[in-house]
Amino acid sequence: MAKLILNRFFLGVLTLFAVSVLIFVCTEILPGDVASAVLGQGATPEALAVFRKELGYDIPSYMRYWNWLVGVLHGDLGIALTNKRVIVDEVLPRLGNTMFLAGYAALIAIPVAVGLGVFSAINEGKISDKLANILSLIAISFPEFFIAYLLIIFLSVNVDWFPSLSTVFKGMPFSERVYQTTLPAITLTLLVAAHMLRMTRSSVLSVMSTPYIEMAFLKGAKRGRVITRHALPNAAAPIITVIALNLAYLVVGVVVIEAVFVYPGLGQLMVDAVSKRDVPVIQACGLVFAMVFVLLNTVADILVILVNPRLRHKR
Amino acid sequence: MPMNDIHPESSIILDRRQLITGAAAFGLSATFGAMPAMAQGAPKKGGTLRMGVEGGSASDSFDPRTYADSVMINISLMLWNNLVEVADNGDATGELFENWEVKPGAADWTFNIRKGITFASGKTLDADDVIYSINMHRGETKSPAKALLADIKEIKKISPTQIQILMTNGNLDLPYNLSDYHIIVVPNGTTDFSKPDGTGAYLLEEFQAGVRATFKRKPGNYWKPNRGNFDRVELRYIGDAAARTQALVTGQVDVINRVDPKTAGLLAKSKGIKLSRTPGAGNRFAFVAHTDKSPFSNPDLMMALKFGIDRKKIVDNVFSGYASIGNDHTVGAKMKYYDPKQKLHAYDPDKAKFFFKKANIAGPVELQVSEGAFSGATDSGQVFQESLSKAGIQLDLKRVSGDGYWDNVWLKQPFCAVYWGNRPTIDNQLTSTFKANTTWNDTHFNNPEFEKLLVAARVELDQPKRAQMYARCQELISENAGMVCFAVQDYIDAYNTKLGGLTVSGRYDLADDRIAEKGWFI
Repeated sequence: MAKLILNRFFLGVLTLFAVSVLIFVCTEILPGDVASAVLGQGATPEALAVFRKELGYDIPSYMRYWNWLVGVLHGDLGIALTNKRVIVDEVLPRLGNTMFLAGYAALIAIPVAVGLGVFSAINEGKISDKLANILSLIAISFPEFFIAYLLIIFLSVNVDWFPSLSTVFKGMPFSERVYQTTLPAITLTLLVAAHMLRMTRSSVLSVMSTPYIEMAFLKGAKRGRVITRHALPNAAAPIITVIALNLAYLVVGVVVIEAVFVYPGLGQLMVDAVSKRDVPVIQACGLVFAMVFVLLNTVADILVILVNPRLRHKR
Repeated sequence: MPMNDIHPESSIILDRRQLITGAAAFGLSATFGAMPAMAQGAPKKGGTLRMGVEGGSASDSFDPRTYADSVMINISLMLWNNLVEVADNGDATGELFENWEVKPGAADWTFNIRKGITFASGKTLDADDVIYSINMHRGETKSPAKALLADIKEIKKISPTQIQILMTNGNLDLPYNLSDYHIIVVPNGTTDFSKPDGTGAYLLEEFQAGVRATFKRKPGNYWKPNRGNFDRVELRYIGDAAARTQALVTGQVDVINRVDPKTAGLLAKSKGIKLSRTPGAGNRFAFVAHTDKSPFSNPDLMMALKFGIDRKKIVDNVFSGYASIGNDHTVGAKMKYYDPKQKLHAYDPDKAKFFFKKANIAGPVELQVSEGAFSGATDSGQVFQESLSKAGIQLDLKRVSGDGYWDNVWLKQPFCAVYWGNRPTIDNQLTSTFKANTTWNDTHFNNPEFEKLLVAARVELDQPKRAQMYARCQELISENAGMVCFAVQDYIDAYNTKLGGLTVSGRYDLADDRIAEKGWFI
């Protein structure tokens, strides 16, 4: 058991290493370079040469990768090329913001989606089941910025309940932060809930056709009880996986939402860095995103093993 | 070439000169109601100005040598001052320089520094600070202002409040060059810009690059009367045009820049919101051809292309009317020495056909466009293609990636899209784009008469004569260079009508990037 979990973690670390190589190679082949992107109109060949030298672009790339990797392992993500700030100091507050929003959205989305999924399964075929299905399909079909703009029009422009800008900053009171981020959190909920709801519903229903469920019915249990006590625990594995995937999306896939609500998350930082070709920042963001993704998936794998005893033993 | 500044404007708005003309024509009372917040009596103190600004990123820093776009320019001018300010009418006026004298030949200048100005730290401004601040942009530096100061030979301190600048080549535009937004005045010896110590109206409270910055008014009286009126200023970075517009509509900010021309008309109808349009100050949009290579070396082909582009249609459709028609050079209509009388290459398919026939070119002409060049480049190219086809000329549009456009396409391909930013002076505007053998001469223009005029005009003290020389320069370019410059974009700001002092400068938007200093709440 412990060995299995350790194994998973080891695989996660290996994946991260592979990703770090990929990130480095990909940023190396980005067209254009930081010097001309930063200097813009002022990029005379002379200024470019001065800047490039300053950036250490005169050493070979495998050396730069090695230096970078050693730095990362020591918790040092380097210095931003453009404004000379320590990248860790830039990334951490942004990551905190991103996690806050993702956590907020997950807090709404997971109970709502799983609850509604179970509810749909209990009421399979009834009007409430169909309604939940249709609504979730609608929500999942719209592009995210469209949902965001709809919410802004209705809840921000028309009735003025929530601000359309979600600029959070250090020192903002917690309650204010929650209020400011409500609209993006609702948008994200709408985006991910449908996926989880449908997965919950279908995996519960697929368990429903097994013999032991039939047995439960035969001994006289009500449908609701059969589903929550007997079916749900055995349907948990795919639900956990889909929740993990959606949580990962909440962290790494919300760039558009961040732009629409002007939310200072990690995605926005990465977009800024890409447009300025600030390679160390791009690499840092990419690595953090990869870590979140790998970590969530590893945790999901382990949880699945825990809830399903059959997976603990080799057949 | 590229400057990160961009964008639009509106029909409802007016610059001050138009306004005054309007007021004179219709009687003051009639126009007053519709008047934008521009001259509503004496400025009042107080309030928090909330700005929503595009033109910045998480990589911004206070080092003036890295400024490239609106956010940092606005922030910088809250904390620091320039040496020279360009007034709304386009004249260079003293800021931290009180005034100056120039000897004939325009190579020997004496500048008087304003007395009694102190930095936030309490240090008094003197000549050493000024010299240090200018020298940051000279010598081995990556400062974009370096080229503007390249002709300075020596800066001498005459007294604590007076300096002398000697130049290798005379240039009457030196004060304009010194008004460049990079050249702010910092205390002598400053190397750490993260703790701003300036002579500006505000003190920094908080700064998070790419997110927001807040400021409070410096205690005591600001050295410029009637300026620096807000108690606090909060500037938010809002990159998305729709988000910016909503922020203004929902009252979360008081002023925004770079309104999307497509929605500007709608926005102007919102209650309590006005637009402010800065015409002729935005980017110049053009297609540029290398005239030293076939087939563009054929002047008749260039004339066919110039007469074969429907500029008005591009301005109306691609830029929703928030641009003025360009005439194949980069001098904007609001720029000093712009020649309003030059011949316009108006759309004329017959003439285009005539010149194309005369050029005797076989096969289609290829144009490379990309949204990476400027937003609207592809659409402009399509209108160009369509309007040329009416003259029987086939244009092949090749869409290329926006990524790396400036490295891989511009200056390399024989015919491609480009934009040029607004420059501080006509000399700078013409020199950077059209002087022979300079890096960015993207049409490979080389005209002996132009070269001679350009240098001579720099030192011509006789104003009418100077104007004439620049008019001729514009004509030479328009007729001979390989540039089809079809539109000059307007800037559009939108602001809450409670805000006063949003003057239109003709240079940059947001009251020449000084709205925090110039504005007030009515």
